[in-house]
Amino acid sequence: MKRIMVDAQNCKGCKNCSIACMQSHRKDNPGGFHSLDLADPANESRNLILLNGNDEYKPLFCRHCAQPECVKACMSGAMEKDSKTGYVRHNAAKCASCFMCVMSCPYGVIKPDRATNSYIVKCDFCQQDGDDPCCVKACRSGAIYVKEVQQ
Amino acid sequence: MKFSCSSCTSADKKMECFVADLSVETSFHRVESQEVKCGFGAQGVCCRLCSNGPCRITPNSPRGICGANSDQIVVRNFLRAVAAGSGCYIHVVENTARNLKNTAQAKGQLKGLAALERLANILGIGGDDAYQKAINIADAILADLYKPAFEPMELVEKLAYAPRYKRWEELGILPHGAKSEVFNGVVKTSTNLNSDPVEMLLHCLRLGISTGLYGLQLTNFLNDILLGEPEIRMAPVGLRVINPDYINIMITGHQHSIFAHLQDMLTQPDVVEKAKAAGAKGFKLVGCTCVGQDLQLRGAHYTEVFDGHAGNNYISEAVLATGGIDAVLSEFNCTLPGIETVCDQLQIKQICLDSIAKKANAQLMQFDFAQRDKISNDIIDAIIDAYKTRRGNIKMNLLPDHGNDQTLTGVSETSLKSFLGDTWQPLIELIAAGQIKGLAGVVGCSNLTAGGHDVLTVELTKELIAKDILVLSAGCSSGGIENCGLMMPEAAELAGPKLKAVCKQLGIPPVLNFGPCLAIGRLEIVAAEVAEALGVDIPQLPLVVSAPQWLEEQALADGAFALALGLPLHLGLPPFITGSNVAVQVLCEDMKSLTGGQVLINADAAESAKMLDEIIIQKRKALNLPTEA
Repeated sequence: MKRIMVDAQNCKGCKNCSIACMQSHRKDNPGGFHSLDLADPANESRNLILLNGNDEYKPLFCRHCAQPECVKACMSGAMEKDSKTGYVRHNAAKCASCFMCVMSCPYGVIKPDRATNSYIVKCDFCQQDGDDPCCVKACRSGAIYVKEVQQ
Repeated sequence: MKFSCSSCTSADKKMECFVADLSVETSFHRVESQEVKCGFGAQGVCCRLCSNGPCRITPNSPRGICGANSDQIVVRNFLRAVAAGSGCYIHVVENTARNLKNTAQAKGQLKGLAALERLANILGIGGDDAYQKAINIADAILADLYKPAFEPMELVEKLAYAPRYKRWEELGILPHGAKSEVFNGVVKTSTNLNSDPVEMLLHCLRLGISTGLYGLQLTNFLNDILLGEPEIRMAPVGLRVINPDYINIMITGHQHSIFAHLQDMLTQPDVVEKAKAAGAKGFKLVGCTCVGQDLQLRGAHYTEVFDGHAGNNYISEAVLATGGIDAVLSEFNCTLPGIETVCDQLQIKQICLDSIAKKANAQLMQFDFAQRDKISNDIIDAIIDAYKTRRGNIKMNLLPDHGNDQTLTGVSETSLKSFLGDTWQPLIELIAAGQIKGLAGVVGCSNLTAGGHDVLTVELTKELIAKDILVLSAGCSSGGIENCGLMMPEAAELAGPKLKAVCKQLGIPPVLNFGPCLAIGRLEIVAAEVAEALGVDIPQLPLVVSAPQWLEEQALADGAFALALGLPLHLGLPPFITGSNVAVQVLCEDMKSLTGGQVLINADAAESAKMLDEIIIQKRKALNLPTEA
């Protein structure tokens, strides 16, 4: 099973991971990232970089946890841990938008969408690409990487 | 040792293989490690104008801390780049005018007296003899360059095509002192000054006009007077031009007149004797970057000292890696920082003639006209020393089958018109009859990111000629196109049936080689003269411009001139503007009603050619010229 691992010491705060995530999940016609509307909330990123109290970068990514609090908190069954891949998947069709997953995520990375506040925005490991997630491919500093783990 | 298992691709396959096997690191090897680009920088929405920054635009932060939105951030960055690019060309014309004036004052040789007469007539400047005329012309140009920001330049109206001048006057974009316009561009874009993106974009057009008329067109005129006019001929190109029997000097830059004196000295018998005493047959200049193109263009006058043009900016490291080069003589861009490590490894002497472009490894021998004999002698001695030290120690890695021997060169607004019988009528008739569907200027630089080295340039050129569009090239684009063989008469086979017939009849290739980026100014004179002969304005011509692999800020200033002239301008990669809706709207759409021009951005050769072809067909229709169904 693959997990995104974070080595915050290597983060340079360039936000390439955020742009890559926005590009990967953009809703308008796909084009090169030159045409990505950086100001459109519909293109918001699923990851983010914050600063900790010591002015150090704190990259925040969905960890697809072994014991996912979001899955435990989900009453509708929309949030599931895939036993084969290990990914924590969100099924929008089942989601009641109660946002208990948002409340329970220990990393604070699951969020309601910014534009309408009506649905969940969460990392899907770029599964449609079948490759490493786009954020990892875009990271030049080695702050995030994919690791095979036993669960 | 190989540096990377994946080196950059090139349209020039021999070059690609050569570079991939090199034991020195080149730009080609560094592309992969710089593959991922910062999206904020790429879209132009990263602002570092104050200590609150860098600020970047995201859905959560649509404005910088100061309140600047994406339009303001993008256009400030863009105007800064255009101003810097304009400054580069204005520096070139300033030095060239000073060199002409100094040469005339010293009653030195003026090799292009016909060009002197033509320019004197255009500018309405007289003088008792040729020297005085040259001095008066240089003085008039320098006086214009140094005018303040509140005084218009006087030669603009004389140099510009009248309908264009009128339109520029209506738009309020006639340039004032060229240096002051650069200054104002920098000041406007400093912290918390101008926040009006449209006003700043109009300033870009003003910089485009001063760049085009002075930095490009006048530099060509002055060089033609000083160094001799281009003559159409066949010449060798590529790495084959390096002959290890000689002491070889690779030249890079844009200011040919700075080493005019040295160039003439290198063939003096006593200097050749010095070379022979060191074990060589003599000295040769090996062309690289635009100044090599400029020398190639005038090569008919320099057959003894100049063997040919090796290649464009991103070939320079490979040229040095052959081991056959003993010294690099640089005076401006595009002298890549990457050549310095190659020079270190291969014991190549670097000499810089203009402190503006001082290279870290180079010995600065600042050109000073009064000291020209001493400087040239010092340069010759330093290079002979380097030759003696390195030859024998350094292994040769030549590529004698690279390039070709039959590239048509020496095309200028004057030599082309003369070739056509001193009139544009034959060209106009071919266009009118549809034998030539239209003209495309494929100009600008080479980069390694629009598909690879020269890839988009060469592919787009092939697509255009296949559509019976005659391509005129100037800049590092020419270096790539010629090394790929498209400037040989045989390349007519790749053209569409009508253009092919024209090429075969005239014995010309389907791509005409105007030489350096400075010669973009020559293309624009061709455009103005053809428009005048037809009695139309430039935007009405079936003419498009593409800088498919534009690289640098100078190219953006050139591009601003193309837009001011009202030409459709294609770019392979966006110039860091796509983060601003206003910039995209003004440059790609509103420009049509301002000047008649427009920016088109597309990185795909076939799609880009189709877009440009459609524009040419529309323009033909508007002129009531026949178009195919």
